[in-house]
Amino acid sequence: MGAIVDSLAGKRIAVCVGSGGVGKTTLAAAIGLERALDGGRVLVCTIDPARRLAAALGLETLGNFESRVPAHKFAAAGLAPRGQLHAMMLDVKRTWDDLIARHAPDRHRQERIYQSRIYQQLSSALAGSQEYMAMEKLYELATERDYDLVVLDTPPTAHALDFLEAPDRILDFLGNETARQLLAPALGAGKLGLRLFQLGGSYIARTLARFTGSEVLRDLAEFMASFQGMYEGFKNRAAAVRALLAQPDVGFVIVASPSPLSVEEALYFHEHLHAGAMPIAGVIANRVTPSLWEGGDPLPGAETLDPVLSALGETGPGLAVRLARTLAEHQVWARGDAREVRRLFAEVEGARAMVPRLESDVHDLSGLASLAAWL
Amino acid sequence: VAGPSLLDRRLLLVTGKGGVGKSTVSAALALLAARAGKRVLVCEVNAQERIAPLLGAPPAGTAIREALPGLFTVNVTPQESMREYGLMVLKFRTIYDAVFENRVVRYFLKAIPSLAELVMLGKILHEARAEESGRPRWDVVVVDAPATGHAVQLFRVPAVLMDTVPAGPLRRDAEWMRDLLLDPGRTALSIVTLPEEMPVNESIELDAQVREVLGIPRGVLFVNALPEIRFSPAERERLARLEAEPPPLGPAARAAALQARRAEEAGHYAQRVRAAVDLPAAVLPLLALDQWGLEAVERIAEAVEAGLGGRS
Repeated sequence: MGAIVDSLAGKRIAVCVGSGGVGKTTLAAAIGLERALDGGRVLVCTIDPARRLAAALGLETLGNFESRVPAHKFAAAGLAPRGQLHAMMLDVKRTWDDLIARHAPDRHRQERIYQSRIYQQLSSALAGSQEYMAMEKLYELATERDYDLVVLDTPPTAHALDFLEAPDRILDFLGNETARQLLAPALGAGKLGLRLFQLGGSYIARTLARFTGSEVLRDLAEFMASFQGMYEGFKNRAAAVRALLAQPDVGFVIVASPSPLSVEEALYFHEHLHAGAMPIAGVIANRVTPSLWEGGDPLPGAETLDPVLSALGETGPGLAVRLARTLAEHQVWARGDAREVRRLFAEVEGARAMVPRLESDVHDLSGLASLAAWL
Repeated sequence: VAGPSLLDRRLLLVTGKGGVGKSTVSAALALLAARAGKRVLVCEVNAQERIAPLLGAPPAGTAIREALPGLFTVNVTPQESMREYGLMVLKFRTIYDAVFENRVVRYFLKAIPSLAELVMLGKILHEARAEESGRPRWDVVVVDAPATGHAVQLFRVPAVLMDTVPAGPLRRDAEWMRDLLLDPGRTALSIVTLPEEMPVNESIELDAQVREVLGIPRGVLFVNALPEIRFSPAERERLARLEAEPPPLGPAARAAALQARRAEEAGHYAQRVRAAVDLPAAVLPLLALDQWGLEAVERIAEAVEAGLGGRS
């Protein structure tokens, strides 16, 4: 077992975080597979509509429900899992709808919220909505199912902070009493004639209406009114999610690629998780170009390679030149990657793993298994 | 592609999956335009600023700054755009301060769906259509847009608002913004991809969304970081045997084998994306550079220029 797998032993929740395009989804699946092979009942929950992941797991598609990876797929990959591997893809809109259904006092209120234009945007397009729902789904899976391990692959956030702050931001909005009072008079405005003046005598509301148009404010007021009484439930649940994430059986796994930007993001994430007392299980540097030229010797030039090639009877137009150039280029990448990995590992706590750039994409369970061997 | 060539358009939108090199391509396009004597503005959208540093200049922040002669950069943030927009609508700073600097209101504005996107896009598009003494303020505005999903969200905002918001100030703004975004004489959206599986899949889906959802005129497909085919198939077979040789040959053969395999896979994905996305394609080389800065941008700009070569 590697450092990351070790550090996740005994954890019930693993949350993979990192910037987009670093291979988070695949690594989340590899972490899940490893535990399933080891006897755990595991669920991997992704937000990335990556068909390749579904294919790699031997599933037709991934949906908003938990599908079990079939035994014959394991057999075909020469793997004999002692546990079970399940996977699903988070459907943000559905998760919102379920959440509303859970908290709405009655069917009527539920429908009223579903119909709201503000809700429709909130649930599908509002920045942070995905992040909030990922957390929400995680809580549901962790508390209402009996998996030994749930691996959550988080959405590729535009900003690392979104992930932890989005739930609070959205909740604060939903429960903002001042905003509610500010808007309350707008509810009195009839459907006809956008009577701006009815936004109370509030100077602020009137000025805002100049900015957004009064209809928008009225929609918003209606939406907030329909949320009345539900806020406590939402807030309690969000607090529970927060508490859950700080528990010792949770492990955050930070994933980075060895590029300056990705490492910056990872370090920022690390700092933020640390400040929030979130348990960090480890850091993975993914797709690292391995060095092929160790030691301090200068890289061989064409003039060094040429006689060796000739001695072996290998010739080709400029073959020695091309070989020398290729190795030199490779080492430029390897040195750059090593520099970034050092920078990353120097500042983080917990387990560390370095996964080399694989020679081809992961396409199946055996590919995932060999990836897991690096963790 | 119908309409004027890429660099003759006013508004160049650049997007693609995270980590494919959007910023480098944006900077390269800006550099080419500036060297052709145009006044250029590059907008980053609420990002950790990259363009100015890539060009060897200090970060611009939220104020427009000249990074190289004729080439300006800015980082467009929701807060600053909201402030500028608010001031434009409300005219008086005192009113703005009284209302917009109110804690609750600031908060509340953040939560109005799409408002942050609207004001950021508004700021960018405002720059793209602004005129000063009878001529455009900028010949070219390059937008280093967010990654795929976030970019679609951003560019959809005017259309979404037109669907959901009745008459009013928001709708009026949404209208002119949509008109500019959809104008093939002024605007083009280009996609950057890497010749790898996930970026290619995402690019194909993105292109479909551009056509079916956004309707924004399409520009160029940039296939970034394509390794050259350096070894023939026969040579590859021989290299595989040479990997077992002691240094220096063994490691060199190993590097060559990796390069050859990577080039082959990349070639396959490049072909796939070019077949699936019917846009003029510009292929950009994979660079082996120790530092990613102005030199990289210049070399990419050369390749962009060669790739655009009259076709776009």
